[in-house]
Amino acid sequence: MDLVDWLFGPFSLPFIARPMIVMAVLAIAVGIASVLVTLRSLQFVGDGLVHAVFPGIVVGFAIAGRDGLLVGGMVAAALGAIVLTLIGRRALGNDSAIALVLTVMFAVGIIIVSRQSNYVGQLEELLFGRLLTVTESDVTVTAAVSLLALLAMLAVARTQLFRAHDERAALAAGHRVLASDLVLAVAVALLIVVATAAVGNLLALGLLIVPGALARLVTDRLVLLVPIAIGAGLLASGAGLWLAYRASVDWAVPLPGGASVIATLVVLYLVTLGLRQLRPQKERASAFDRRAFDRSALVRA
Amino acid sequence: MTALTLSTVVSIGFFERALIEAVLAGALAGLVGTLVVLRKRAFFTTALTHATFPGAMVAAVMGFSVVVGSAVFSVLLVALMTAIARFRGQGGQVAAGVVLTFGFALGAILQAANPSLPISVESFLVGSILTVDAADIALTAVVLAIAALVLAVRGRHIIFATVDDLGYRAAGYRAWVAEALTVALIAATVVAIMPAIGAILAIALIVGPAAAARLLVTSTTAVFALAPVIGALAGVIGVVLSRELAVSAGGAITLVVAALVVVAAGAQRLGVVRWRRDEATNLAT
Repeated sequence: MDLVDWLFGPFSLPFIARPMIVMAVLAIAVGIASVLVTLRSLQFVGDGLVHAVFPGIVVGFAIAGRDGLLVGGMVAAALGAIVLTLIGRRALGNDSAIALVLTVMFAVGIIIVSRQSNYVGQLEELLFGRLLTVTESDVTVTAAVSLLALLAMLAVARTQLFRAHDERAALAAGHRVLASDLVLAVAVALLIVVATAAVGNLLALGLLIVPGALARLVTDRLVLLVPIAIGAGLLASGAGLWLAYRASVDWAVPLPGGASVIATLVVLYLVTLGLRQLRPQKERASAFDRRAFDRSALVRA
Repeated sequence: MTALTLSTVVSIGFFERALIEAVLAGALAGLVGTLVVLRKRAFFTTALTHATFPGAMVAAVMGFSVVVGSAVFSVLLVALMTAIARFRGQGGQVAAGVVLTFGFALGAILQAANPSLPISVESFLVGSILTVDAADIALTAVVLAIAALVLAVRGRHIIFATVDDLGYRAAGYRAWVAEALTVALIAATVVAIMPAIGAILAIALIVGPAAAARLLVTSTTAVFALAPVIGALAGVIGVVLSRELAVSAGGAITLVVAALVVVAAGAQRLGVVRWRRDEATNLAT
C-alpha cells in the first residue's frame, strides 16, 4: 500500500466521499458564520440556538420521520433566533436569560423524546449525529440551505462588521441594525440545523465557534479571517474523517465521524494557541504579548 | 449528623431518596446560582456542566468513582478556560465554547471506543434523579454545607468584589480570592448535582432560581436566602410531576424552574412586589 493511497484512498469510497462533501460545504458556510459570531461575540447565543433547534428536530422526527427532522429544526431555529436576538437587546441579566431559554428548549426536546419508545438510541443519534451515513438527498439539502444562509450573511455582512465595532455609529449612519441582527441569527440557526444533521446537535456548536476563534488567533486582518476560518474547517473535516475511517478499519474502533471531526478541529485550535504563545505577533504587541515574547526569546537563547 | 442522614436514607425508597436529593440539589443550585447570576458566569457554568461529561466517561472506563473523574476533569477545564481567556481576541466566551464542544467530542469518542460501558450516555446528559444513591445525596449535602459556610464567612467580600472590582482592589483586598472561591463553588456544585439532573439541564436549576429571586426581592442578601428555597421547591415539584406524568425528571425540573421564573416576572410586572428599577440597574452593572 503506497502512501498516496493510504492517505487519499478512503475519500474515493462513497460513504467517506459524501460526508466529505457535506463537511466541505459546511466548512465554507459555517466558516463565514463563525467569523461573524467571533467578531460579534455571539458564542453564547450560538449555544442557545444549538439547544433551541433540538426540540424542533425531535418534534419533526416524531411527526414525519427523517423528512420532518429538517423542517421541524428550521421552524424551531427561526423561532429561537428571533427570541434570542430580542433577549440580547435587553441588557439586564442577558446571559442568565439565554441560559434559561436554551435549557428550557432542550428540556422540551428531552421530555418529548422520553415519551417515545427506543428513546436512548434516538437521543444519541440526535446529539452526536450520523455523519458517516448521510444520503444523496442530505447532500443536496445541506448545499441548498448553506447557499441560502450564505446569501443572507453576505447581505448583512457590512452592517454586522460596522455594528460589531460601534453599534451607535452604525445606527446613526442609517444601518438597520435590528433587522440585520435578525437575518444573521436566522442564517446561523439554519446552518446549525444542517450541521446538526451532520455532526449532531451538541457538536455543531464547535463548528460554529472554533474556526472563527482560530482565525482570530492567527491574524487581526479582516480579509484574512474568512479564508483562515474556512481552511481550518476543511482541514479538520478531511483529517477527522480520515481518522474515523482509519480508526475503524485499522484498529477496529468505530469512531463516530462527527466527534472525530470536531475533536480534530479543537486540537488544531489548541495547537495554534500553543504556537501563538511561542511566537506572538511583534507589531502592536500588548503588555501580555510582550511578556510572552520575552519568555520565548529566553527559551530560544 | 451526616451519618444519621445516611442511615435513614439507606432504608427508604427510591422516590423518597429522589425527593431528598431534589431538595438538597435545588437548594445548592439556588445558593451557588446566585453567585453565577451576580457575577455573570452563566456561559462558563454551561461549559463546565457540558464538559464534565468526558471526565465521568474516563472514570467509568478506568473503573473509579464517576464523581472523582468529573471533579478532576473540571479542574483541568477551568485551567484550560483561564488560559484561553487570557489571549487577546479570544476571551471568556470563546474559551467556554471551545471547552464545551471539546468535552462533548471527547465523550462521544470515548463512548465509541468502549461500547461495553456500564453507564449510559443519556443518564449523564439528562440525569437520573430516581436512581441516586446515599453517596450522591451525602455529597450534595456536604457541598451545600460548604457553600453555605463559605458564603456566611466570605459572602460580603465576594459581593463587594462582584459589584465593584476596582473598589475592592483599592480597599487592599485580593480580587482573585473571590474569583477562585466562586469558580471552586460553581465546579463543586456542577459535580455534585450532575448525577441527579444531568450535564445539560443542570444550568437551568443553577441560573433559574437566582434569576427568579432577583425579580422578587431587591437586596442581595434576600436573593441569597430566597433562591435556595425556590430551587428546592422546583426540584420537589419537578420530581412529583415527572412521576405523575411519566416524563423525564430532569426535563420536568427544568420546565418547573422556567415556570417559576415566568411567575416571578409576572408578579414583578403586576406590581405585587415593590421594585425599584434604579436599584436593579445598580445590581446589574
